[in-house]
Amino acid sequence: MDEESQVSERTATDLVRYALACHASGKPIKRENLKTHVLGNTPTRNTRPLLDRANELLTHNFGLRMVPLPSHEKILTNNAKAQPAATKWVLQSTLPNDARQRLELAQTEDQQAILGFATTVLSLVFVSNMSVSVDQLVLYVRKLGPPQCIAAPADTREATSYASDAQMESAAREAIGYLTRQGYLDKVKLGASGGGEHGAETQATQATQATQLPTDDRHDEGMMYTWGPKARVEFQPLDMARFIAATTGQECTDEFIKTIGRAYGSNITASQ
Amino acid sequence: MAMAMDGTAHEQQMLVQWCMAAQVFTESEFRQAIQRTYCTEEEDTEEIQPVIEQINSRMSAFSLELRSCMDQISGIRNWALVNTNADAISTGATPYTASELVTLKTLVEGVFTEKMGNYSLSLHEALRMATKRNGTVAGTLTRAETESLIRKFCAGGWLATDPDGGYVVLGARSIIELQSFFNVGFADYIRLCSLCKEMATSGIMCMECMEAVHPYCANRLASASGNQLTCPACNKHIEQPRKFGPGERGVPHIVESVAGSVRGDSVGLDEPATQSIKKLCIEDSSDDEE
Repeated sequence: MDEESQVSERTATDLVRYALACHASGKPIKRENLKTHVLGNTPTRNTRPLLDRANELLTHNFGLRMVPLPSHEKILTNNAKAQPAATKWVLQSTLPNDARQRLELAQTEDQQAILGFATTVLSLVFVSNMSVSVDQLVLYVRKLGPPQCIAAPADTREATSYASDAQMESAAREAIGYLTRQGYLDKVKLGASGGGEHGAETQATQATQATQLPTDDRHDEGMMYTWGPKARVEFQPLDMARFIAATTGQECTDEFIKTIGRAYGSNITASQ
Repeated sequence: MAMAMDGTAHEQQMLVQWCMAAQVFTESEFRQAIQRTYCTEEEDTEEIQPVIEQINSRMSAFSLELRSCMDQISGIRNWALVNTNADAISTGATPYTASELVTLKTLVEGVFTEKMGNYSLSLHEALRMATKRNGTVAGTLTRAETESLIRKFCAGGWLATDPDGGYVVLGARSIIELQSFFNVGFADYIRLCSLCKEMATSGIMCMECMEAVHPYCANRLASASGNQLTCPACNKHIEQPRKFGPGERGVPHIVESVAGSVRGDSVGLDEPATQSIKKLCIEDSSDDEE
C-alpha cells in the first residue's frame, strides 16, 4: 500500500473511531465536527471515498453503517432536487432482524420507557396520515402518560401522580418537547395551500411551505407534528404496522397492513 | 464440543455490538451473550478466551480492546470494551460537558489519592470537592446539581457508591479504562494485590512488607490454609489484618514524588502538567499493631 493509500486508510479508520464515539455519546455525527476532528485539510473531493471506506469498515467489523439524517427540507418538501448534502449521520445496524432480536441489547429502565413512549407517540402520528395538530398530540400524550424520566428530572423525581390539570398539560408538553429535541418529532407550520382535513392529506401534499419551529405554546396556531429525522431513520412503516398490530392485539395480516397503509397515507410494502 | 468460534461475520459483529451496548458487563453475562450469538448451550468455561482474542484482534485497528478487572469483594470479573487511545478523536464526542469532565477528574483524583489510602470519599466530602469553585471552571454547582452529576458518573460506571451509600469509590469502568491515567500520574498511589496482581482499592495490608491483598483473594488464601491468612508476598502470617477501603481505618500512602505530565484517557481527563507535585505521607502515630 503506497503512502497516500495508507494515509487514506488511517483517516477512514479515524472516521470510524469518531463515529463510534458519537454513537456511544448518543450524538449525531456532524459534518463540521468530522472536518474538525478527523478530516482536517483533506480535500473535499476525497471526502466521499473516505466516507465510503469508513462505512465498509463499520459494516465489516461492527455490523453498523452511517446513514444520513434527512434534513428538514427533505422531509417537508419531499423534493429530491431540493435536498442539500447530508450534514448529520447516525449509525444504524446492518444485522438481519433475527440476529438483532437474538442480541438482547442491554437497556436501562429509563431507556426502555423512553423508547416505548416514543414508539407509541410515533404510531399515533403514523396512523393520522403522518400529521397531528399540537392540541391533539398533547391530548394523546396526556392520556398516555409520559414517563417520569422525561417529564421530571432525576433529582426531582417523586412517585406522585400528576394532581392538577396544569401539571398534566405541562408534563405532556415537556415530553413532546423532549421527543422534538431528540429528533423523533418535528413541529411544522402548514402553508395555506396545504389546508384541508388532515386525514385526507398525503405526505407529498400536506407540507408546501413548512418550516421547523420552536416548541412552545406561542406557535401552536396552525401547527402540526410529524415524524422527525431520527424517527424516519430508526422506524420503518412495516415495523410500525407490526408494532400497532402487537399493541392492539391483532394479527399482522396483509389486510391489516393495507388498512394501516390507508391511515398512513401510502402503501406499505414488505421491503419498507 | 468446542463452540465454533470462527463463526460468521454476523456473529462477530453481534458480539461487538452487544459489548458496546452493555458497556460494563460480568463474565457470566458475556458467556450468555456468546451462547445466544452462537446459538449454543455450551458452558465450557475455557471457551471465552478465543472469543476475546478474536474480538481484540479485529478491534485493535480501531484502538479498542476488551479488558477486565475483578470485583475485589465478590471475585466476579467485569469486562468492558475500552478505548486505548485517548486522542482528540475519541474525546471529541464525550457524553460529558467540559465542566462535567473537570468535576469527574477532580473526583477520580480525589478518590484515588485520598490520604488514608482508602480510595474513597465520604459523600459529604465528594459533594464538597465537586461544588468547590474551580479556577478553570466558571460558576459553582448547587448541592442538588452535584448529587445529580455524581449519579450520572455512577450510571456511566466511572464512580460507584459502597453498599451502604456513604462513600464514593471508583467504578469498574474507571479501574478498567483509566489504567494509563493512574500509571502515569499517580503511580505512587497504586496498590496491587500480591496474589492476583490486579489493582487493589480495598483489602488488607500486610504491615511486614506493605503488600496488599484483595478481600476476595484474602478469603481464598484463608480458606486454603485453615483460616490462617499468610501474606503471599513475604509468607508471614497476617495476625491482625490492617484493612483499607470505604469506611476502614486505612493505611496512609507513602508518597514523595514529582509527577510529570498526565496522559489522557478516553473520558478526556487529559491535562498538561503545570507544576510538580510533592506529597508526603501522613504517618499514623497511633499504630497499635507494634
